[in-house]
Amino acid sequence: MRPDEAAEALTEIGHRQEQVIRLVLIPKWFWWATAALMVGFTAAVDSRVPAAIAIGTTLFVIGIAATTARVVISAARQAQVRNGLVSPAGVFAILGFVALILAVSLPAAFALEAAGVRYAATYGVLIAAVLMVAGEPVLTRTLQRIMLAKRVGASR
Amino acid sequence: MTARFDELIHAPTRLSIVSLLAATEWADFKFIRDTIELSDSALSKQLTILEEAGYVEIRKGFVGKRPRTSARLSRAGRTAFESHVAALQEIVARSGASVIRAANE
Repeated sequence: MRPDEAAEALTEIGHRQEQVIRLVLIPKWFWWATAALMVGFTAAVDSRVPAAIAIGTTLFVIGIAATTARVVISAARQAQVRNGLVSPAGVFAILGFVALILAVSLPAAFALEAAGVRYAATYGVLIAAVLMVAGEPVLTRTLQRIMLAKRVGASR
Repeated sequence: MTARFDELIHAPTRLSIVSLLAATEWADFKFIRDTIELSDSALSKQLTILEEAGYVEIRKGFVGKRPRTSARLSRAGRTAFESHVAALQEIVARSGASVIRAANE
């Protein structure tokens, strides 16, 4: 086999693996839906109105179950990215993302509550939701970069 | 990883299928078909060849009430693929070209 043919085959191999890594990810709407459900639920609890809490809790549970089921079923119709591609670096990226959101939103909520602001928890969760939606593209790109670096043929 | 050129994997369509499967735990038949842009029969034929070689495992099941067929690389298939990639990289490396650049282009 000629070197240019081998290089061409390696390009195809890299391209096909990249296709999977870029296609099979959590859809954007899921992040928006989860963020909205979180804020709605917290606002309902913050209202301290029993009926609002009951409705908010019901909508939250149904909403999270439905959106998660939709993502899982959609994934089942496509493919599951190989677990080994995520690697410890990917796990740390996810944990770091969660830690960053908590590090900003929790102190903000406590500070607002200490200042006597009504619906302090709701504002705290609103901050978390905004960070979640705004940070999702960065997290996604980071995970894709990590997975692309781990694909077969990428590191030699 | 021992480099070993694999004629069975290297056929263009099978190379695409195996490369795609190499990045997955498993992949749905329709997902593979649409991504590689093959007909149902062409994909079935190639998957059968790979399955008979012991490189691919085919799983039939249901998602809800709909029948689903999915495929995954077997351990032997993954090893053969990685050996094949190593063989290709050796060929490129011997020529003095950059393997990483070639794989990432």
